[in-house]
Amino acid sequence: MHNVWTLIRREYLERVRTRSFVIFTLLMPAAMAGIVFIPTRIAQMNSGGERRFVIVANDPKLAETVGHALAAPAKGPSGGDFEEDESGDTATYVITVATDTSDAERDRLNHMVNEGQITGYLWMTDDALAQHKVVYSTKEAADFQQASKLRYAIRTGVTKQWLEQHGIAGADVDQLLTPIRLETVRIEKGRKGTSGSTIFLTAFGMVMLLYAVVLVYGMAVMRSVIEEKSTRILEVLLSTVTAKELLAGKILGVGAVGLTQILVWVSFAALFSAPGLIAAKSFFGGGFHIPMAGVFAFALFFLLGYLLYSAMYAAIGSMVNTDQEAQQMQWPAMMPIMIAIFLMNAVIQHPNSSMAFWLSIIPFFAPILMLVRVLIEQPPMWQLLLCVGIMLATIYGLLLLAARIYRIGILMYGKRPTLPELRRWLRYAG
Amino acid sequence: MPDAVELRGIRKSYDHFVAVDRLSLNIHEGSVYGLLGPNGAGKTSTIRMMIGITMPDEGEVHLFGEKFHREQLHRIGYLPEERGLYKKMKVMDHLIFLGRLHGLHEQEAHKRSRAWAERLQISEWTNKKVEELSKGMQQKIQFIATLLHDPDMVIMDEPFSGLDPANAVMLKDVLIELKKAGKTILFSTHNMDQVERLCDSICLVDHGNPVLEGDLKKIKSSYGKNHIQMEYEGNPQLEGSPLVQSFNNYGNYVELRLVPGADPQQILRMASEQARISRFEVLEPSLEEIFIDLVGKGKRA
Repeated sequence: MHNVWTLIRREYLERVRTRSFVIFTLLMPAAMAGIVFIPTRIAQMNSGGERRFVIVANDPKLAETVGHALAAPAKGPSGGDFEEDESGDTATYVITVATDTSDAERDRLNHMVNEGQITGYLWMTDDALAQHKVVYSTKEAADFQQASKLRYAIRTGVTKQWLEQHGIAGADVDQLLTPIRLETVRIEKGRKGTSGSTIFLTAFGMVMLLYAVVLVYGMAVMRSVIEEKSTRILEVLLSTVTAKELLAGKILGVGAVGLTQILVWVSFAALFSAPGLIAAKSFFGGGFHIPMAGVFAFALFFLLGYLLYSAMYAAIGSMVNTDQEAQQMQWPAMMPIMIAIFLMNAVIQHPNSSMAFWLSIIPFFAPILMLVRVLIEQPPMWQLLLCVGIMLATIYGLLLLAARIYRIGILMYGKRPTLPELRRWLRYAG
Repeated sequence: MPDAVELRGIRKSYDHFVAVDRLSLNIHEGSVYGLLGPNGAGKTSTIRMMIGITMPDEGEVHLFGEKFHREQLHRIGYLPEERGLYKKMKVMDHLIFLGRLHGLHEQEAHKRSRAWAERLQISEWTNKKVEELSKGMQQKIQFIATLLHDPDMVIMDEPFSGLDPANAVMLKDVLIELKKAGKTILFSTHNMDQVERLCDSICLVDHGNPVLEGDLKKIKSSYGKNHIQMEYEGNPQLEGSPLVQSFNNYGNYVELRLVPGADPQQILRMASEQARISRFEVLEPSLEEIFIDLVGKGKRA
């Protein structure tokens, strides 16, 4: 035990002390923040400012109604309903109504668009409306938000006018046209839980984090084994410690580095996103929080997944001599986790299906797929226990197997073993 | 006093390749022992089984009078042929790490590393990373790591290969000092010269089989004084003589072995008739001669 502890300590301290670890650990949250905030900022910058529209219609009243709907400040409903005006648009609109539908007027407007005097114009003559087709001419590239806002405005305008023409009073029309907001609520053990769309995002984020960290640190274990082979230090170490102790020290030491990194990131996230979370809470209708069960499941499946995959990576590392060879050999470790990612969507769609159950108890998929299920639907406890049991058994078997390959492989320099050779390795005594 | 190492018929095979075949040997405490043989003879495989890196398929290993158990490893210092260090680690951290693995406490490992570094004149390098050191300095660090825990037995696999001359002298001095302190030293090498100068006993292995084992002096005297080394000018026809069993021309001198019962004086007379002799010496066979004789000509390592 003393030896394993010494090995863990070395592995951990030597990694945590490197400049690259410190930089990566500190820069990652900054980069993530950048990815989230910068595009939002840019979008907001673009949507600001003044926008000039000309609405051409035979009926000036219709044009005015549409213009009014367009210029009205965005007050769309919030919640899971993204159907209508949700653009968060901060631009001011200057609307001009025109009733001249001649070709000459159209040429003049095209010219104005070209010169940049107006942002664009809507051609909604009676003919166009009869065909249910309005043309929006602009110089700007297709902008979803703008298009959806225009569509919303036109539909509202046309409906409003039609209703008023058919004798419904203005106030009633406004009342009628206020969109209905749909709020998704997830029932968790009979209580009101987190809203559906946020749980999707949370699940996806957690799975991706787990996937990345497991792979990054699994490969770190592999590279570390290769390094020990190439620096020829292994035999020095083996004169006092066993191959098993060495393997255990390496996997646990590197794993502890991974945990440290995640802890740093999580504390950063908690620190910096606290104000954002409060804002998001109001935005998502009070349902935005990561459930404690989710955090626990993440920690559990990170540990199990890391142990499973790092054992495989350690075995691969002991079979090869260079990083290049390792690249070619790492598909047995990469493949299952990639497949699990591909299957993730199917499991998210039908978390209760028997397919989801069977896939999620396969130990190589479980870290991804069972985690997704726990986050989305809380599978029965017996399934969870079964899954963890199978994983622990697999990890134990894999570690024994990896230790045997490792024990022989680390003393072999030169040619990479073939499969039959590998089978013989497993049979060699000590 | 129990033997430091006792191997009882150990055997190790990989598939059809037998690395070590029923090898038995005894290494007395306080002796300097040479494990000799050509490359691939099974020397490293034998050492690995001796210290539990691999397990023998058959046979037993006894160390210091007890059946092998891992705590005994704290009494052994092993310098393998394939030796290296973690390149990114600082020298002092590295020494302390290896010292701890050998059962030393951190402070003790630190204190001893300091003393050794001072003695080998690398004190000013202990705060540098290993990769910043020259190859010769890295070799010094490896010696220190092997000896840091003051082992009762030191095992060195081809210790002189790749050493610069200064380090070779330093290592030899340290080894002689260890011998004086009563430590057991096991060498594994194919370099016969060093063994003749340093070892008390030897075991000669070839193709995994022990060919010859025992006290070096006894082995040599058992071959008798039937070897002649001489230097001369001219070209005496000795190679075909019925008195000469084998003839080796080393360039600066020749070495020949007589058939049993032949008189060296007869050779001297024959040679002096045909050449001017500047040196003529009758001696025991060199280890290399014995080695070649036993292992067979044309298979020299």
